[in-house]
Amino acid sequence: MSIRIQRVPSENMAGGLAARLIAIVLALSIAAIVFAMSGADLGKLGAHVFKSTFGSRFGLMDLGLIVTPLILTGLAVTVAMKVGAWNIGAEGQFCAGAIAATAVALFVPGPTILVLPLMFVAGAIGGMLWILIPTLARAYADVSELITTLLLNFVGALFIYYLATGPWLDPSGLSFAATKRLPHDVPGFWGDVHWGLPIAVLLTVALAGVLNYTRWGYEVRIAGSNPAAARYAAIPFRRHLIVVMLMSGAIAGLAGMFEVIGTTHRLQGGISNNFGYIGIMVAVLARGSAIGVIAGAALMAVILKSGIALQTQGVNISTVLALTGLILFFTAIGDELSHYRIVRSKPA
Amino acid sequence: MDLLAGLIQTAILAGGVLALAALGEVLAERVGVVNLGVEGLIALGAITGIATVVAVPSPTLGLILAMLVGLLAGMVFATATVIIRANQILCGLALTLMGTGVAAMVGKAYSGIPAPVTFAPIAIPFLSDLPLVGRALFTQNVLVYVIYLVLPFALHHLLFRTRHGLDLRAVGENPAAADAAGIPVTRIRFWYVSAGAALAAGAGAYLTLAFVPSWSEGVVAGRGWIAVALVIFAGYRPWTAVGAALLFGLITSLGFVGQARNWPIAAPVLSMLPYLGTIALMIVPVLAWQKVRRLMAAPAALGEPYFRDVR
Repeated sequence: MSIRIQRVPSENMAGGLAARLIAIVLALSIAAIVFAMSGADLGKLGAHVFKSTFGSRFGLMDLGLIVTPLILTGLAVTVAMKVGAWNIGAEGQFCAGAIAATAVALFVPGPTILVLPLMFVAGAIGGMLWILIPTLARAYADVSELITTLLLNFVGALFIYYLATGPWLDPSGLSFAATKRLPHDVPGFWGDVHWGLPIAVLLTVALAGVLNYTRWGYEVRIAGSNPAAARYAAIPFRRHLIVVMLMSGAIAGLAGMFEVIGTTHRLQGGISNNFGYIGIMVAVLARGSAIGVIAGAALMAVILKSGIALQTQGVNISTVLALTGLILFFTAIGDELSHYRIVRSKPA
Repeated sequence: MDLLAGLIQTAILAGGVLALAALGEVLAERVGVVNLGVEGLIALGAITGIATVVAVPSPTLGLILAMLVGLLAGMVFATATVIIRANQILCGLALTLMGTGVAAMVGKAYSGIPAPVTFAPIAIPFLSDLPLVGRALFTQNVLVYVIYLVLPFALHHLLFRTRHGLDLRAVGENPAAADAAGIPVTRIRFWYVSAGAALAAGAGAYLTLAFVPSWSEGVVAGRGWIAVALVIFAGYRPWTAVGAALLFGLITSLGFVGQARNWPIAAPVLSMLPYLGTIALMIVPVLAWQKVRRLMAAPAALGEPYFRDVR
């Protein structure tokens, strides 16, 4: 009897989940060690984190507000992955969606009940336009969408900064780098948490259904996992690629729309808050499952909210970014390791 | 004419960051590994550089320490992608997030402090007195000459004129064949990816010790990603990469000149130029010259981990 370690092409499900769990625990432990070494009182930090997340009504509401854009950006990245595309530009599409929705709010008069749907559509179209050029470049010239979508993130942030400090600056002079308070709100759902949250969840469930149980979804998944096989089966790879990437942009645009109309109520610099980048983490944690996006977003929302809460304790918010990177790193390694299995065999 | 000279001088200075980072990425990608952590490595190098010169007034030491930090980070990345063979894209993104986050955490204490010592420009006698471009070309800091002349020459020679260079390109094109020919695939990948990361971090030190020269959050501003794009644009060749970096430096310096001369375009819009320019330069050549595509093709095994036992 000998024991060998063997690599298998498909990763095993339980291994993948365990890898995520270990990755998160490992990353958090490293963060804790760093905090402890820099002289922080871990017990006090932990208590503070708990109180400001699950321990209070306001904490829970904040989580609800943070999880909404994360579900949508995570969903955007996941959907693009389904067709084999890397949408690393959810951050930029988020900005574009926020800009488009703000434009409608500022310049289209009318009652909220009529303007709100218009803002919804504008947000989606904004995000879609932002990914249009990377999409066409990938589909027709095979230009890496990973880099083009990413570069547009910087353009999106600059665009918001330009609008919020320039032409759209609050005329009252009260705010320095933001538009005036927008005249319309997304209605409340639970306290401060607006209807964006249930809509994001519904959208996720609906898309999961479409991707898993329709012919179109099946074709998209085939096209994503093996373009050559898709072409052989007469599946229109290019068409699916374009449609799905535009969809991905639209979803990220909706995240921006809800953030500006429901949460910040003003267009201002830094509004995207790294939601687009953390969305990548959400998608990776979700392992391509649209439903998993909700769980991944919830987890990242807790981490992000903890980071925000710890700012009052002298912890830098960039810690969240570093921690996200650490989790992503360990998850990537864990994913690879879960391809291995131990085989017992009798000597030949 | 002053305008042109100023434009070129700034272009060379600004392009240096991109050129050095791109040369590092050429090394990694030539052996078949995509390192998307360049942005984070530049951030790490930038903060290491500034932190060093604040403690010890030696820019050279700052550069060396930055490159060492980059080498270490590169070895961590290479351990994950080359030895464990985890997904290169995810590990690269993770490295970018970690590097950017850690640099911002450490950088809080250094934000806005101008570098007490920098790589100062040196006027080369006679040459710098040449009319028109003399000052722009020959009144630069010493790193500029290393980045634009010494390094590309050395790397080009290594890649295309030596036996070892042939080996390492083989590793990037067809690791299985290279392995069969007795070339140590894993070892070559590991060390060249790490060396490339050291160069990227060196680009960060150049940023805060020769170009800006101070640290602020967001000082890297996507330069790592532009460098990655530039490597593709340059067809994975050292001289072309440096030339392309100069072109991108020119786009950046157009923005600076516009701001300095009060062009009627808002500053944030001018700041968009490098990103939009990069996207345009990624798309246009592919559409315009279909024939060049094969010549500029990526190493065949780029991004693919090599498993000896799985074919």
